[in-house]
Amino acid sequence: MIPTLDVRDLCVLFQGPPRPSPIDGSVSSITVDAGPVSMLRPVPGHRIGLPGVTFAVNAGDCLAVLGTSGAGKSSLLRTLAGLQPQGCGSVRVNGRDVSALAPERRGVVYLHQEPVLFPHLSVLENVAFPLTVRGTARREAERRGFEMLVRLGVEGVAGNAATALSGGQRHRVALARALCADPAVLLLDEPLSSLDPAVRRDVRVALLEARTMSGAATILVTHDLDDAMAVATHIAAIGQFGDLSVSTAPAELLHAPPSLSVAQLLGVFAELPGVVEHGEFVASRFRWLGGVIEAPGVTAGEAVACVRSHEVEVHVADQRTAPVLTVTARREAAHEVLLDLRDVSDATVTVRAPGTTSARVGDRVQVVLRHARLFPTH
Amino acid sequence: MTHRAALVRSCSFAALTIFATAPLLMLIATSLSRGWFYPTVLPQEVDASAWRELFTDSARRDAVSNSLMLGIGTAIVATLLALPLGRSAALSTRIVRRTVALLAFAAVALPPVALGLGLQLTMLSLELGGTLFGVFLAHLVPTLGYLTLVFLGVFTRWDMRLEELAATLGASGVTRWRLVLLPLLRRPIADALALGFLVSWAQVALTLLVGGGAVRTLPLDVLAMLQAGQDQRAAVGALALAVPALLVVVAARSAARHTAAVMA
Repeated sequence: MIPTLDVRDLCVLFQGPPRPSPIDGSVSSITVDAGPVSMLRPVPGHRIGLPGVTFAVNAGDCLAVLGTSGAGKSSLLRTLAGLQPQGCGSVRVNGRDVSALAPERRGVVYLHQEPVLFPHLSVLENVAFPLTVRGTARREAERRGFEMLVRLGVEGVAGNAATALSGGQRHRVALARALCADPAVLLLDEPLSSLDPAVRRDVRVALLEARTMSGAATILVTHDLDDAMAVATHIAAIGQFGDLSVSTAPAELLHAPPSLSVAQLLGVFAELPGVVEHGEFVASRFRWLGGVIEAPGVTAGEAVACVRSHEVEVHVADQRTAPVLTVTARREAAHEVLLDLRDVSDATVTVRAPGTTSARVGDRVQVVLRHARLFPTH
Repeated sequence: MTHRAALVRSCSFAALTIFATAPLLMLIATSLSRGWFYPTVLPQEVDASAWRELFTDSARRDAVSNSLMLGIGTAIVATLLALPLGRSAALSTRIVRRTVALLAFAAVALPPVALGLGLQLTMLSLELGGTLFGVFLAHLVPTLGYLTLVFLGVFTRWDMRLEELAATLGASGVTRWRLVLLPLLRRPIADALALGFLVSWAQVALTLLVGGGAVRTLPLDVLAMLQAGQDQRAAVGALALAVPALLVVVAARSAARHTAAVMA
């Protein structure tokens, strides 16, 4: 089956003067195909941001792209939409190479972080806009536009000025308009950031509805794992060096992040420094932690263990039990607690523990690790 | 508000009204009076002959017609040139933007006599000296400068996301202009047309130097009548100069209010 969106060896460019880049060969952890880079089309005032990006998204699927600020998430979307030049590689939509096509001929709709509505048009005219530009009669365009507003539950504001809407309504209207364009690919650039929790929930639901309704291949850019898990069917993470790791399922990426930078990006792991010796990981400051982390295939040397909260057990220690750690701070998170622990040598580490953990500040505790992912740092 | 502040405000408003309307009232009175000389306080005889002459005298009609043609033509052409120029400069690199702004500002800031002399020599070498077209080209220079600065400002603050969005929603370049840019640019375009008309309408030095006296416009007529001591006819000409200018400003403000209501 031909994927709706098929991206191969795409070089995403950043605006700005050239500067040392991983593809110069200074970083060995990235695999860069010599083909696309050698075919790089230099664009004045631009430098390579993401080298050799390859992935595919099928109709009805949603790929969430996670990355830190400045990682190139928005540039990737803008390149796919044809709003900025691409350095090399190909972008295919329904099997057709659209790399050289203008944005209006790609069948790709791009939604900005803030929902942008045309201020001189009413809500209904905004939603009917994609149909109007395709030559649909005004009455028919507005009828179909109204239907879309009904489906997204904002038909009540159809006659309003576009400038007189709440944040959630603006998002829903912008989505309705995007769906009216009947896109093959829908690109959503951090639509959930800077929203208050209530509106965020509302817009998440709208995004799910939109995904179901449209059948488009959707890419959602976000830096929030919860948003990605709620909306997406697949997750990709942009690593420290612009490497894109795509997982078939969100849970897979959480279970086995491909690199430390991706693990850090996911924001759900506690990091414990240590060393790998004789096929086992030994926490450098917490040798006494219970449990053995086997490290088959990991080169001996310094490493970092990434541990999720449910893989940690924190027991309030019996005074007679030794060695122990002291809880110096406890911070409640949504479904877990963050505990700052200090050992006898005053070294501290933050551990994410299950929300049921009873340890309080001042308690002496023992920590047992059930599982961890190891990343060499040497 | 204290009593004193209210008094100051009332006095300021009265002073502004007097300064703004007194010259206009004086012109109206002069244009309708014959033989009104110092120290007579009021006109001795009401006479509308100078007004009749404005519409019947062919030389004066020509001057008005030339001024209108130059004003309207300059406004339209300068707007058509300045809009894409300002837009491309605003969306370009900082160096390009600054260079265009500097050139536009130079066209505006140069003393009209110096600019006129340079243009006169240029037009003479092009055999356009003393022609209406030559004067039109001369008027275009400062007008284009003003309007380029206007559109440079507009597009420096322009939200490019509107065009990007329209493009990904399927709108081609022409459609984007028709459905998005032009409706949103109605206010600056109205302002630019008004400003362009006014710059050309009131132009004296460039018309005089490039036209060489062969191209008669209303401002030149007024000056000529003043020099000849024909105050009544000069006052009529001055009022004829003022009325279209005021109308243009009112029309531009009206268009701006309409657009502002849409944009609000």
